Amino acid sequence: MKSLVRYIVAALVLSGVAFVLGSYQTDVYRKLLLWITLALSYNFLFGICGQVAFSHFAFYGIGAYSVVIFITQLALPLPLAVLATVALCVALALVVAIPATRLAGFYLALATLAFAQLFIVVLNEGGTVTGGTGGLTNYRLPDIFGVAVTGPWYTVAIVLLLLGTFAMLWRLERSWFGRACRAVRDNPDAAVAMGVDARLTKVLAYTITSALAGLAGMVYAFVDNTVNPAIFSQESVFQLLFMVIVGGAGRPAGAIIGATVLYLLPLVLSPIIGHHHALVFGLFMVLVVIFQPRGLIGLWDRFISGRQHRQAQVQLRKAHP
Amino acid sequence: MNDLLELLVSATASGCVYGLVALGYLLITRPTGIVNFAVGEWAMLAAFGAYVALSRMEMPYPVGMALVLVLMLAIGWLTERLTVRPLVEKGAPPLAPVLSLLGMLVVFRESVSIGFGADPQPVPPALGFGRFEFGPLAGAYQSFFIIAITGLVFTGVWYFFERTLTGKSFEAVAIDRRAAALMGVRLGRVTAASFAVGAAVAGLAGMLVSPNVSAHYMMGMPLAVQGFTALVIGGVGRVEGALLGGLVLALVEQFTVRYAPIPAGLAMGVPLVLLIVFLLVRPTGLLKAREARA
Amino acid sequence: MTAHNPLLTVRGLGRRFGGLHAVTDLDLDVHAGEILGVIGPNGAGKSTTFSMIAGALAPTSGEIVFDGQPMAGVPSHGFAPRGIVRTFQHNKPFESMSVRENVMVGMHSRMPSSLWQILAGTGSSARAEREAAAKADSLVDFVGLSEFRDADVATLSFGQGRLLEIARALAAEPRLMLFDEPAAGLTASECHRLEQIVLSIAKRGIAVLLIEHDMRFLMSLADRVAVLNFGRKIADDTAAKVQQHPEVVEAYLGNLKDLQNA
Repeated sequence: MKSLVRYIVAALVLSGVAFVLGSYQTDVYRKLLLWITLALSYNFLFGICGQVAFSHFAFYGIGAYSVVIFITQLALPLPLAVLATVALCVALALVVAIPATRLAGFYLALATLAFAQLFIVVLNEGGTVTGGTGGLTNYRLPDIFGVAVTGPWYTVAIVLLLLGTFAMLWRLERSWFGRACRAVRDNPDAAVAMGVDARLTKVLAYTITSALAGLAGMVYAFVDNTVNPAIFSQESVFQLLFMVIVGGAGRPAGAIIGATVLYLLPLVLSPIIGHHHALVFGLFMVLVVIFQPRGLIGLWDRFISGRQHRQAQVQLRKAHP
Repeated sequence: MNDLLELLVSATASGCVYGLVALGYLLITRPTGIVNFAVGEWAMLAAFGAYVALSRMEMPYPVGMALVLVLMLAIGWLTERLTVRPLVEKGAPPLAPVLSLLGMLVVFRESVSIGFGADPQPVPPALGFGRFEFGPLAGAYQSFFIIAITGLVFTGVWYFFERTLTGKSFEAVAIDRRAAALMGVRLGRVTAASFAVGAAVAGLAGMLVSPNVSAHYMMGMPLAVQGFTALVIGGVGRVEGALLGGLVLALVEQFTVRYAPIPAGLAMGVPLVLLIVFLLVRPTGLLKAREARA
Repeated sequence: MTAHNPLLTVRGLGRRFGGLHAVTDLDLDVHAGEILGVIGPNGAGKSTTFSMIAGALAPTSGEIVFDGQPMAGVPSHGFAPRGIVRTFQHNKPFESMSVRENVMVGMHSRMPSSLWQILAGTGSSARAEREAAAKADSLVDFVGLSEFRDADVATLSFGQGRLLEIARALAAEPRLMLFDEPAAGLTASECHRLEQIVLSIAKRGIAVLLIEHDMRFLMSLADRVAVLNFGRKIADDTAAKVQQHPEVVEAYLGNLKDLQNA
C-alpha cells in the first residue's frame, strides 16, 4: 500500500509538470520521459542480466512502426492495434532471443547489431508498407471513446508508461527472477548447479525487456506523429548503452540519471556543439569508464557515505569531547 | 564470361578490404582479448587523412600513403595509451576497455563530422582511374592495387607470426597472457604495438576503399560490420581466416547484387543475413584455429 | 526414509574423452543419512565421477539412478530441483549479491511465485520473498556466518566463502549433498567446523558424497570410503578397512604420508 501511494504521488507530480510547460518544453519533456523508460529496460537487460545487446532501440522502432501500420494500413481499432503491436514485439523478441542467447559477449553484440541494421534495411526497402526512406507521416492517434488525447494529456500517457515500466522492472529485480538473472551473469556454472535454467532466464530477460522497448515505441509513434528510418539509425545504436553506463549500470537510479544527463546536456550545450550531440555521449562515456566506472550515481553514493562518515565523526566527538 | 571474371576481380578487391578491416581487429583482439568496435572509425580517419593529403594537399601517392599510415600508427598508439592503458593498470573488468573504445568510436565519428562536415569527400586512387587487363582478368587499376597490397600485408603478417621470434611471442600472449608474462614477454609493449599496427592496417583498408565510396563520416560502421562478418565467416583463430572470410563475403555480396533479382537496397542486407546465419550455424568460422603443437 | 534402499545408485558408470577412459565401470551406492567418501590419487577420475553425478557432465556409459528415477537425459539445471545439490571446490559465489542473496539463489527451484504473480506485485509473492529471506538467514546462521548476512561476498575469506557454498547448497533442500574437496584450503579450526556441519547434515537424513584428498578428514567423517584409481573403483569399505587394502596401499605408495596421518 505504501508503494502504491508513492506511485500515485509520482504520477501526479510528473503529470502536473506537463500542464505548465510550453510547447518546446513539452516536446523535450516527453522525449526525456521516453528515454528514461528505454534506459530503465535496457538497464535491466545490460546492467542486471549482463547481456550486451544492440537491438533495444530497434525494438523501439518496431513498436512504433507496427502500431502505425496496424492503424493506418490494416485499419485496426486502437485497442486491437495496441494488442497486435505488443504481440508482434513479443513474438519477434522471442525469435531473436532464442538463437541469440546461445551466443555470448562479442558474438551476442554482433548478432544484435546485425539485427538492428537489418531492421533499417527492411524499413528503407519496405515500399509503401514502411514508407521507405521517408517513413510514415500521415497519421495521428485515433480518438479514444470519442476523445482526442493530445497535448498534456498525452504526456500523462507517457508518464503512465514510464511508471508502469519502472514498477514491472522493480518487482522483477527484487524477485527470484532478478536474482536468477544476476546469478547467470555472475557465475553461470553455479547458477545451473542451483537449478537455474540459464538459457530460459536469458531468453525471458531479453524478451521482456525488448517487448517493453516496443511498448515505449508504440507510445512514441504519436509524439511527433512521424516515423522514419533516420530516427532509429546507426547513430542511436549506442546511445542507450552510454546512458546506462554514464548513469551507473545495474541500478534504476543510474538509468534515470544517465538518460537525463545525456539527453538534456547536449540540448543545453547546443550553442557550442550544434546538433553534434553524440560528441557529448562519446566523451562522457570515455571519461566515466576511465574515471568513475560506477557511473554518476557512484558520485552521489560517495557524497552520501561521505556525509554519513562526517556525521558519525561529529557524533563521536560529541560523545568524547 | 568476361562479365563473370570482372565480377571476380572486383569482388576479390572488396574481399581484400574486408579482410584488412578484420585483420586490424584481430591484431588487437588476439594478444589482448580486447574487442575493438572502433576499427571502422580508424578506417574512416585514414580515409579522411588520405583526402587531406592527396586531394587537398596533392602530395604524390606514396608520400601521402606513408604519411597517413604513420598517422594511424600514432592514433592507434595514442588510443591505447589514453583510453585502454589506464583501465588495464587499474585492473578494470574486461568489458571496460570495450566500452571506452565504443565511446572513442563516437568521439572519432563526431570529430570528423564537425571538422569536415556531412558531405562525402573524394579520395584519389593509387594509380589513377585507368583499367588494366591481366590476361582474361580485367578490372580497375585500384582493384589490382588493393589485391597486391593486401597480399603483401597478409604475407608479411603471416611471416611475422609464423617465422619470427617476436611474432611467436605475440602468439604466446594470445594463448596465455600470464604464462607469456612469466616468460618475459613485455605485455605493455605487445598491447601498444598491437593497437598501433591494428590501426594502421584498418587505416590501410580505409584508404584503399575510399576512392570508390568517398570519405564520409558515417562510413565506419558498415565497414566494421563487413569486417566482423568476414571474421565470423573465416574464423578468429587464424589470421588467414580474415582474408578468406572477406573474400567469401564479397563474392556472395557481389554475385547477389549482379545476378539475383532483388533491389539494390535489399542487397545491403546480404552481409547482415550472412553474418546472422554464420553466428547461428558456425560461429567458429570456416577455418579452425591451429592446434597446439605437442 | 527406507534405510536399506540406496538413495543414489550408480551402475557401470563410465566416461570417455576421445581415446581416454577417465572413468570405467564404476558402481556406487549412497543411502540417506550416510556419508560416503570418494578418494584416490590425482587423475583417478574423482572429479569426472563427481561431475557426472552432479549433472554437469554426461556419462558415456552406465547409469545414475536417484530415488528410483534414472537421471539420463536430465539437463544440468534439473539436478537441484530433484534434490542433488553440489558445492564447488573453487568457491563460486555470485559477486554482485550479498551473502543472504547468494543463499536465496539456492532456493530458486523452491520459490512458489510465477512470473505473472511477480509482475502483478501480489501479496503472495511479497510474502514468499520475506519467507525466503528468513530461511536464508537461518541457513547463514547455521553455517556460522551470522555477522555477514548483508555483507558483500568479496569481503569473505576463503574459508567463509566455503561456508557460503554450503549454506547456498542447503537452501536448495538437497536429499543428496555432493561436496567437492570441501576441506581444501581450510585451516584446522575451519576443518573442524566443516566436520560438524557435514555430520549435522547427514544426521538430518541427507545422503552425503564427499570427494577428498585428505584421508585424515575422511577417517573421522565417512561411514564408508570408495577408492578410485585409474578410473576404476579398487576398494569400497569402511575407512579403517580400506586403508589395509593391498591395492589401495599400492596406489598410494608415493603418498604414504596421507595414509599414515590418518
